[in-house]
Amino acid sequence: MAEEAKFKCLRCMSEFCLPYTPGVTEERTCPNCSSNSVRRIKGDKK
Amino acid sequence: MADVGRHPNVELHAYSEVDAVTGYVGNFSVTVRKKARYVDVKECTACGDCEDVCPITAPNEFEIGLSTRKAIYQPFPQAVPSAYVLNIEECLGNNPIACGKCLEVCDKKCIDYDDKDELINIEVGTILVCIGMDVYDPTALDEFGYTQYENVITSMEFERLINSGGPTKGHLIRLTDREQPKTVAFIQCVGSRDENRGNPYCSNFCCMNTVKDCLLIKDHYPDVDIKVFYMDIRAFGKGFEDLFQRSKDAGTIYVRGIPGEIEEDPVTKSLKLYVENTTEGTVECHKADMVVLSIGAIPRRDSSSIQQLLTLQRSQDGFFLEAHPKLKPVDAATQGVFFAGCAESPKDIKDSVTQAGAAAARANRLMMQGKVKVEAITSTIIPDLCKACGICVKVCPYHAISCDTKAKTPATVVEAACAGCGACSAECPFGAISMKHFTDPQIEAQIDAMLEVDAKDKVLAFACNWCSYSGGDLAGTNRFQYPPNTRLIRTMCSGRVDKKFVLRAFARGAPIVLVSGCHFADCHYINAVHWTQRRIEKLWDELEKKGIRPERLQLEWISAAEGQKFATVMRAVEELRQQVTQEEIEHTKKVLADVLEPSKLRAPKQPAASEEAPAQEAAA
Repeated sequence: MAEEAKFKCLRCMSEFCLPYTPGVTEERTCPNCSSNSVRRIKGDKK
Repeated sequence: MADVGRHPNVELHAYSEVDAVTGYVGNFSVTVRKKARYVDVKECTACGDCEDVCPITAPNEFEIGLSTRKAIYQPFPQAVPSAYVLNIEECLGNNPIACGKCLEVCDKKCIDYDDKDELINIEVGTILVCIGMDVYDPTALDEFGYTQYENVITSMEFERLINSGGPTKGHLIRLTDREQPKTVAFIQCVGSRDENRGNPYCSNFCCMNTVKDCLLIKDHYPDVDIKVFYMDIRAFGKGFEDLFQRSKDAGTIYVRGIPGEIEEDPVTKSLKLYVENTTEGTVECHKADMVVLSIGAIPRRDSSSIQQLLTLQRSQDGFFLEAHPKLKPVDAATQGVFFAGCAESPKDIKDSVTQAGAAAARANRLMMQGKVKVEAITSTIIPDLCKACGICVKVCPYHAISCDTKAKTPATVVEAACAGCGACSAECPFGAISMKHFTDPQIEAQIDAMLEVDAKDKVLAFACNWCSYSGGDLAGTNRFQYPPNTRLIRTMCSGRVDKKFVLRAFARGAPIVLVSGCHFADCHYINAVHWTQRRIEKLWDELEKKGIRPERLQLEWISAAEGQKFATVMRAVEELRQQVTQEEIEHTKKVLADVLEPSKLRAPKQPAASEEAPAQEAAA
């Protein structure tokens, strides 16, 4: 079951929550600027 | 089917499953589990005496539960081979034998209660995946009342109902009173073209299947009224529009709108359909004695096991993904594997037959030659550097690398199976894998050359050959403007972009580095792009630890059709570049100075020019 985690866009620096399953790589897109440079903020699971 | 069973060059393994597949194009080894059928196929004459005496009754799967069968049965009429099968789970018991009536009446004594599954090993050159499809289960769509009302049936159930070999011998009847319905309603796109509660794709054949059913009813029962509720009728094939017009001329009424609710009359068991007629702009109530839900296709539920066995790709809808939609529409990404029929996408009989012919021809072309041309760009192991850690084995999407980690013998690459993504080379921690035509020194030389002059003014981008680089091409041919200071380094896959390439670029003074590749669903190397993402995520952490802003390393997925996106990304990255200060660049160069020092690892031996043939041949 996917949980939500906090992510940060490395292009526009906006922060947002996305579904996250540990160990699973997924294509992620920033909802603000559509960049794929989306990095999970570790230790900040919702 | 009968022709297949009789053909001298076809070895048919019915009632069997594939357990394992090893090897590569031309040399596949397939382990087939021949399931115990408890009946000797060679001796059984399908006389049916055993079926007559069997006391067990179970729903008939072939008739979708509309009739029953016995525990010993023939799966369907004209099944090949023409022999019975015993469902041992339903049988009253074979240990000890509790019934044994079938054995008593069988003249040939071909029933064996002690039959066991048998494993067979087959050597084959090519594999065709033709596993078909499953159909959508409409039980979740409450508004159609499929689970509540007996006279609401699916198109598959209707198909059996009007089939002359079906449970009613082709007579159209209602399930509640066994009477012929006076009005039949068809509801289209059940479970299709609905992102929220079904599948987003069109199942391709449902419209014409309904048109065919309407004509069939009208041919046999001209007095039956037929109403079809639809979103769009997609009659796009040869002769389809004519067929559609014929069904309208025959009296079928087409109503544009999908019913939002169905109610049943508790006495007559007839149904009321409430629908918004979007052509008329009115909310209407239609009556019908029987409702047929035109259900769509879904991928086979066991697709994932076939995917793992053959290292195949699946598109977002779950069907198998072809190697190239235009140039290799029947080829899988794994060489020597081909698709036919609904395994690849929902399609009708004509398209399935066409694709099957194409797949057979593609397979035959390989087999007739007796040898195959393999990629010139493959990985090679440098045995002296290999520590037999086995990481490359895990990384390879094609299972082309093998390594005995216990014996610590160097890994080996089957070049005929290697597609040349380079993910193994990028992941190898010992630099023990070299990619032909994309060696480390070649790529490092490009980085050095591009950043030799005015590095601070440039954006260095790694682009994968199939998508991002082609996206750049498209941006150029479409005249989409993007900053001219972009410097592209082409790799076959973004999975080839080694961590040390990125660090080297920063050490040479690059303000920004972009790694771009295919979207996950488009990856030309099955799942190599996943390794790119994992590597970049680790690099962001590493850069941060070294005091370098991680945002200076950008990651983008750009397809070959996204020229506009390529230009947009390049403009955005240029804006980021302008924010990078000279002090930051100098600090980075200082922190990463050791990256430029000659590696302690031995440089991979470069192949001589004569060895870099454009294509290699491997005996199949």
